[in-house]
Amino acid sequence: MKIAIPADKPDLQAKVGTRLGTSQYLVVIDLKTMAFEAVTSPAVSGQSISGIEVVVLAISKKVNAVLTGYCSPTAEKYLSASGIKVLTGVSGTVSEVVEQYKKGDLLKDMGVEQESESRRTKLDGPTLFHALKASFNQFVNLLPILVGVFLLIGLFNAFVSKELISSLFSGNRTLDTLLGACFGSLFAGNPINSYIIGGELLEYGVSLLAVTAFIVAWVTVGLVQLPAEISALGFRFALVRNAASFLMSIAIAFTTVGVLNFVKGLFL
Amino acid sequence: MNSGKHLGSIWKKRIVRLLVFPAFVLLIYGILFVIMPDRALLAIRSSGKFFLLILMPLSLVFILMVILNLFLKPAHITQFLGKGTGIKGVILSATAGIISMGPIYAWYPMLKTLREKGVDNSLIAVFLGNRAVKPFLLPIMISYFGWTYVLILVVFTIFGSIGVGYCVDVLVKEKTANHLQ
Repeated sequence: MKIAIPADKPDLQAKVGTRLGTSQYLVVIDLKTMAFEAVTSPAVSGQSISGIEVVVLAISKKVNAVLTGYCSPTAEKYLSASGIKVLTGVSGTVSEVVEQYKKGDLLKDMGVEQESESRRTKLDGPTLFHALKASFNQFVNLLPILVGVFLLIGLFNAFVSKELISSLFSGNRTLDTLLGACFGSLFAGNPINSYIIGGELLEYGVSLLAVTAFIVAWVTVGLVQLPAEISALGFRFALVRNAASFLMSIAIAFTTVGVLNFVKGLFL
Repeated sequence: MNSGKHLGSIWKKRIVRLLVFPAFVLLIYGILFVIMPDRALLAIRSSGKFFLLILMPLSLVFILMVILNLFLKPAHITQFLGKGTGIKGVILSATAGIISMGPIYAWYPMLKTLREKGVDNSLIAVFLGNRAVKPFLLPIMISYFGWTYVLILVVFTIFGSIGVGYCVDVLVKEKTANHLQ
């Protein structure tokens, strides 16, 4: 059986961390052999600003229980849902807490087991509040760029003529689709912006083929985020995936529009 | 304390990055209001009309976001991604891509870790390809292109991502094998 304890140092004499998401280390102890491993917490190493990665880390270490000073209801919910027992309000050194846990004192004192069990399936107030808060944050993150796109489309409508757009897109199906895929690859960000820009391009007489290649390449090909992808997944992976996705965006455009025309022909 | 400062600087950078584009567009408006106010007013009215048109689908987007946030979390998605082999692995990774939210940058560290744990390149490519399918944005997409088009596009995007996964599997694996010989 393995337990995980957040701590301020990478050893058994370290103090138990007050919060799961902000402690420097996560000490994982095998209760059978008392062998332990201290992992640097991802929430502190700067890779993420979310404590959810500590949850993922605990799950990946296949621990049976997490003992901590405090654990957010959301983190507790997902640990519990993964079959990991969560005991909060724990203090002292890591070795003291391990001894208490082995004796069974902590379980008796806190009675958290039953509480976690009851939270597992309930859609309660705090859960709804956290979902609303997360959605609000995601929406707020999306808004600045979206407002910028709204304003830009206004400028586009007032200053750019259909003739200008027509001169960019030649009317040649293959070339226009290629151009759409190129534009989509250059831009990045939330796909909602690609739908809005794509919809406006259609209004300006750009073909559905070019618009489809544009919105597919917008998400699947990322020249802007290529350095980040290379650093995370390797040069060859990033290059092959982006090149294949670019070609696939063109193929998807042709098949989608082809099938759409076929379906329309059947029913109209 | 240090982690607090670190998080603060991450948030500052993120906010600055988010505001650069709208600030730049506002600057263009500012210049236009000085040199050609009539056209600038026309542009702002056009933006307003456009915003009203999109308000309803945008509200639906928020509702769908809340529903997805209620039932799905990154920890769940990681459980799908890279699990299973063959068709099952592809289906689970595609599902993880479809239900994943947030900017791609947030996912790279997790993808790197999963890859180091032995998750196939092809499954990671399938995951990234399926991020193009966004259930919570479907109302906006349907309002622009119609549900028939959206349905067909979603199906082909999923199949396309599997095709990309296959290419990555063959080409990246081949290189690794050559390198080892």
